[in-house]
Amino acid sequence: MSITDLIYLSQKSLRSNILRSILTSLGIIIGVSSVITMISIGSGARIEVEQQIERFGSNNLIVRSQSSSNRGVSMGVNSVNTLTLKDMEALKEELPAIKAIAPRVSLSTQIIANGNNWLATVTGTTNDYFDLGNWKFENGRSFEEEELDSGSRVAIIGKTVQKNLFDTDNPIDEVIRINKVPFTVIGLLDAKGGTAWADLDDTIIVPLKTAKQRLVAKKFPGDQIRSMTINVRSSELLFKTEKDVDTVMRKLHKISANGNPDFVIRNYAQFLNARQESSRVMSILLATVAGISLIVGGIGIMNIMLVTVTERTKEIGVCMSVGAKKRDILLQFLIESLMISLIGGLIGIALGLGVIFGVSEYFKWKMSLDYMSIVLSFVFSSSIGIIFGFYPARKAANLNPIDALRYE
Amino acid sequence: MININSLSKEYVMGDNKLLALDKIDLSINEGDFVSIMGSSGSGKSTLMNIIGCLDVPSSGQYHFRNNNVSTLNSNKLAELRNKDIGFVFQNFNLLPRLNATENVVLPLLYSGKNLKERNKLALEALESVGLKDRVHHRPNQLSGGQQQRVSIARAIAGSPKLILADEPTGALDSKTGLEIMKILNDLNAKGITIVLVTHEDDIANYGSRIIKMKDGRILEDRKNVNN
Repeated sequence: MSITDLIYLSQKSLRSNILRSILTSLGIIIGVSSVITMISIGSGARIEVEQQIERFGSNNLIVRSQSSSNRGVSMGVNSVNTLTLKDMEALKEELPAIKAIAPRVSLSTQIIANGNNWLATVTGTTNDYFDLGNWKFENGRSFEEEELDSGSRVAIIGKTVQKNLFDTDNPIDEVIRINKVPFTVIGLLDAKGGTAWADLDDTIIVPLKTAKQRLVAKKFPGDQIRSMTINVRSSELLFKTEKDVDTVMRKLHKISANGNPDFVIRNYAQFLNARQESSRVMSILLATVAGISLIVGGIGIMNIMLVTVTERTKEIGVCMSVGAKKRDILLQFLIESLMISLIGGLIGIALGLGVIFGVSEYFKWKMSLDYMSIVLSFVFSSSIGIIFGFYPARKAANLNPIDALRYE
Repeated sequence: MININSLSKEYVMGDNKLLALDKIDLSINEGDFVSIMGSSGSGKSTLMNIIGCLDVPSSGQYHFRNNNVSTLNSNKLAELRNKDIGFVFQNFNLLPRLNATENVVLPLLYSGKNLKERNKLALEALESVGLKDRVHHRPNQLSGGQQQRVSIARAIAGSPKLILADEPTGALDSKTGLEIMKILNDLNAKGITIVLVTHEDDIANYGSRIIKMKDGRILEDRKNVNN
């Protein structure tokens, strides 16, 4: 008896009990959809973390000004600048684990060039900023030492700024007016793309000194700065350095160990770890659900197949009387349970894809569909069907023809 | 064709042993039409099941077409049932989910015939029992007589040498029963050996030989002169 004939007979009997077949495969449906979701949450988180590192650079700490809360009332993020270049020099001197620090001042302002008008964030910083932030140049160059020291009116622009001011034209050596001050464009950065909260390419970078003299003299008087990006020599030193920076900064700003700091330290690694940890917990949870439902689903299949064998005892007798061998009966019931579990697998895959789509839309979680997970689901569900279908099928095949025929 | 020597069949039910067949000797030749009669419990059905290779004897010898059936394993028995023997049951025993053609095709599936050949054979068999216009009907859409004809078609589809009919008219009215007996008679005329189990005299009368059984033994074995 060929496999196609067996499949034909099996689908006949499954279709005569369509509701029962689908209810039976419920455990497999839940199991398989959990497997798919679990795997894609895991690989999605991994990819996202890799992308974040690619974008923001690895082993970076960001120290930012923060108004110390006044009797419980925060004074707002922009109300005060508490960081200075002196802090930066002190940190560099005190902590050998720090490889480089890029200071930053910034403002949002109007840019005019080429007859176009655009609102962009202008950053004043040093060349370290490009290394630490993983910025690459599509065209042009970074600042010369001389430009940084003398406060030259030169600017490096991001892709979004280029697009809005110059369309696709080469912006190098063009003049743009930042807050009415003319600057010469010397470099164009490679596109980084957006995150959920910001367009990283909507940026203009000028030398720190130029910004402080010509653009933000009032906002950042003296040697005040907005924030600094600290690059640590290795990832093992990251958490220790974070603590050390806190200690040194408290000493510099004369804040006691349990007082409210006037700065905040952001650790991207911490954020990424939290992200990875939460998706790991989610994966373990789903793996448990998947494991339990696949086993329960398998037992469900075995149960319903035992019922089916009993119900169809007489039929088995008839088949044997017209010449069915043990092997034919065994295969027919095995294929039936295999089909139930594969139907469950297919529905489970569809459901899993739906969950993946829904979660990535709703939570903005990066989910990556791994094709291996679909293959894995097929393997899982078909082995469940065969393993748990074997006992009932063997029971059917071992029936004595005459007893089966006489069964009422 | 059938040679039975000192064949016994014993059933153990708890502490009791029930001797269903007690040292039976019987031989049936190719082309015979044998009616086996007897009241219930006489052993006639047990004898028929053993002849049909559905059951194995407890002791004694059974040779079917040069096969020593007592020594065959379940696969060989299945093969014999598939190729050489056709069954017609009292309550038809058709598979309810399959239509007439699919029911008739069933033994051909197990013998591994290809799709084209088995459909051809099944249609021929259905045509020969006069059900050409009912090939796609399911059993519950057919009358009792039509169902029995489907089961005869199923029995003959694989061109067996022997047809075993266990009370084939038992569930039918007498007019339909006669139609069924006519079909069996025609099959016998074509050279197929028929063994019929019944307790009705006028049905048994179709046979050319009548065997009467009681308490697991053959009481009487005679040629039927009326036929």
